[in-house]
Amino acid sequence: MADAPPIRTRGLAKRYGRVVALEDLSLDVEAGEVFGFLGPNGAGKTTTIRLLLGLIRPSGGEATLLGRPARSVAWRADVGFLPGDMAFWPRLSGAETLEFLAALAGRPASLRGSLLERLGLAAAELARPVRTYSDGMKQKLGLVQALQCAPRLALLDEPTKGLDPLVQQAFYDIIAELKARGSTVFLSSHVLSEVERVCDRVAMLRAGKLVSVGDVETLRRAEQRRVTADFGADVDPAGLAHFGQLVSSSPRRVEMLVSQAQVPALVARLGMLPLADLVIERPTLEEAFLEHYR
Amino acid sequence: MIGVLFRHHVRLHRVPLVPLALGLALFEWIMTVVAREPSISRFVGEALRAAPPQFLALLNQDILATVSPRGIIGVGYTHPFVLIMMAVWAVRVPSAALAGEIGRGTMDIIAARPVARSAQVAAALLALVAGLTVLAGAAWLGTFAGLVGRPIEGATAWHYLPVAGAMWLLFASAGAVGILVSALAREAGAAIAWTSGLMAGSYVLDYAARVWPRIASLRPLSLFRYYEPQQVLTAGLAREDVIVFAAVAAIALALAFAAFSRRDL
Repeated sequence: MADAPPIRTRGLAKRYGRVVALEDLSLDVEAGEVFGFLGPNGAGKTTTIRLLLGLIRPSGGEATLLGRPARSVAWRADVGFLPGDMAFWPRLSGAETLEFLAALAGRPASLRGSLLERLGLAAAELARPVRTYSDGMKQKLGLVQALQCAPRLALLDEPTKGLDPLVQQAFYDIIAELKARGSTVFLSSHVLSEVERVCDRVAMLRAGKLVSVGDVETLRRAEQRRVTADFGADVDPAGLAHFGQLVSSSPRRVEMLVSQAQVPALVARLGMLPLADLVIERPTLEEAFLEHYR
Repeated sequence: MIGVLFRHHVRLHRVPLVPLALGLALFEWIMTVVAREPSISRFVGEALRAAPPQFLALLNQDILATVSPRGIIGVGYTHPFVLIMMAVWAVRVPSAALAGEIGRGTMDIIAARPVARSAQVAAALLALVAGLTVLAGAAWLGTFAGLVGRPIEGATAWHYLPVAGAMWLLFASAGAVGILVSALAREAGAAIAWTSGLMAGSYVLDYAARVWPRIASLRPLSLFRYYEPQQVLTAGLAREDVIVFAAVAAIALALAFAAFSRRDL
């Protein structure tokens, strides 16, 4: 049991009647790893986390956390959880909420003070009822309750939702420290840049199916840019095709996907044409993954 | 963990508990004042003799017992105001403890911690019976306050302790049914509607079966059939009634434990 990975699923599936929420998920997340779980809304990320926590029963397959079956309660003192839709008791204060949830975990809230300070939740704010909190403050409180007892395994569903950039940075630092302490972090997101920044490995889920699992470096190398060029006069789009994949083209406008390595050469070539406007942007998460793993 | 959850439920519901308890105590105290007035006893007696049997059935009173001061105080334990005050707790706490947490979205952060599902049901039960004890105790204390030092012939506060106990049993078993409903529901609103409906249906069935001979045989199906304060005053708590309340509560709780342990949250 000591050698079992913190998260292991084999053929995990969940169906609601005829609707398949998750299908045949087999995954290992290793100890000390920050693992990103990516996918568009409705892909099955939250369903997977709820299955891992034993909140819902699988229609097939099995999952273990910290070497024990998902529905066991034995491992839960070592797990911190942030739900995707964070909800609290409106009349309780932030401090009462944290105290109650730490008492339920049965472990001292050794990281609470540090987390509150770094995420910017002051004592005066904690004394107020949660119903007076903004969405961002609720998210901060959610992060503190998930991590305050220094969990061995943190399951965080969309952790930076509603956080401003400064607090997001503080959160990334916290994740790095948890990793340095040997904790395992399982983080679901639909923000590619966030996952690239903090994760060691990523898995992509699409329509309930695991599309791919890989390390972030591979993903980064494969990542393409979407280039849209508008011209002041007619050009021949076929002359640009060898730089990447043409998505759409006309004599006055070209839209294409180009690997990062090809971007300088393409820009140089475009400079020789009657260029009127140029937009270079990251592709959507799904485009990036599907392009690489198709 | 049951203790932590129990204190959590108390924190969420302690505010309404205070006015409910004060209202019950005040009402039962007023009943002792009313019963002390000979003119009121006479008026009540005459009114009851003139009343149609359907009205007497609604009060669930033995008319001969009721016209005495002792009986009038007993009416205080079957009055709709008192039943509604008790029912508020018996519906509110079970509905909020399980279905309410699911509907609000807070069940996930509770259930993701080392808390067995059975502990959640047990904590809901504990909060239910603790509150009912406070409320039934407050009602009896109201009677006690009205009678202590100023006894009415044939009536001391101690006569009403088993009556308050019977009321506690009635709502503890109804609340256990509420816990079962809550263990199956996804939102507090649905649990409140079903539990209130079952309690109201049980009350109406008991009343209808008393005034309509054709359905008299259905009366044992109502929990209110086993709650008869005037009989408790004269003969004490009937063992059969206690067994029925206990059996209903035990079956409902066993089903609630089983259902809540297996369900998706």
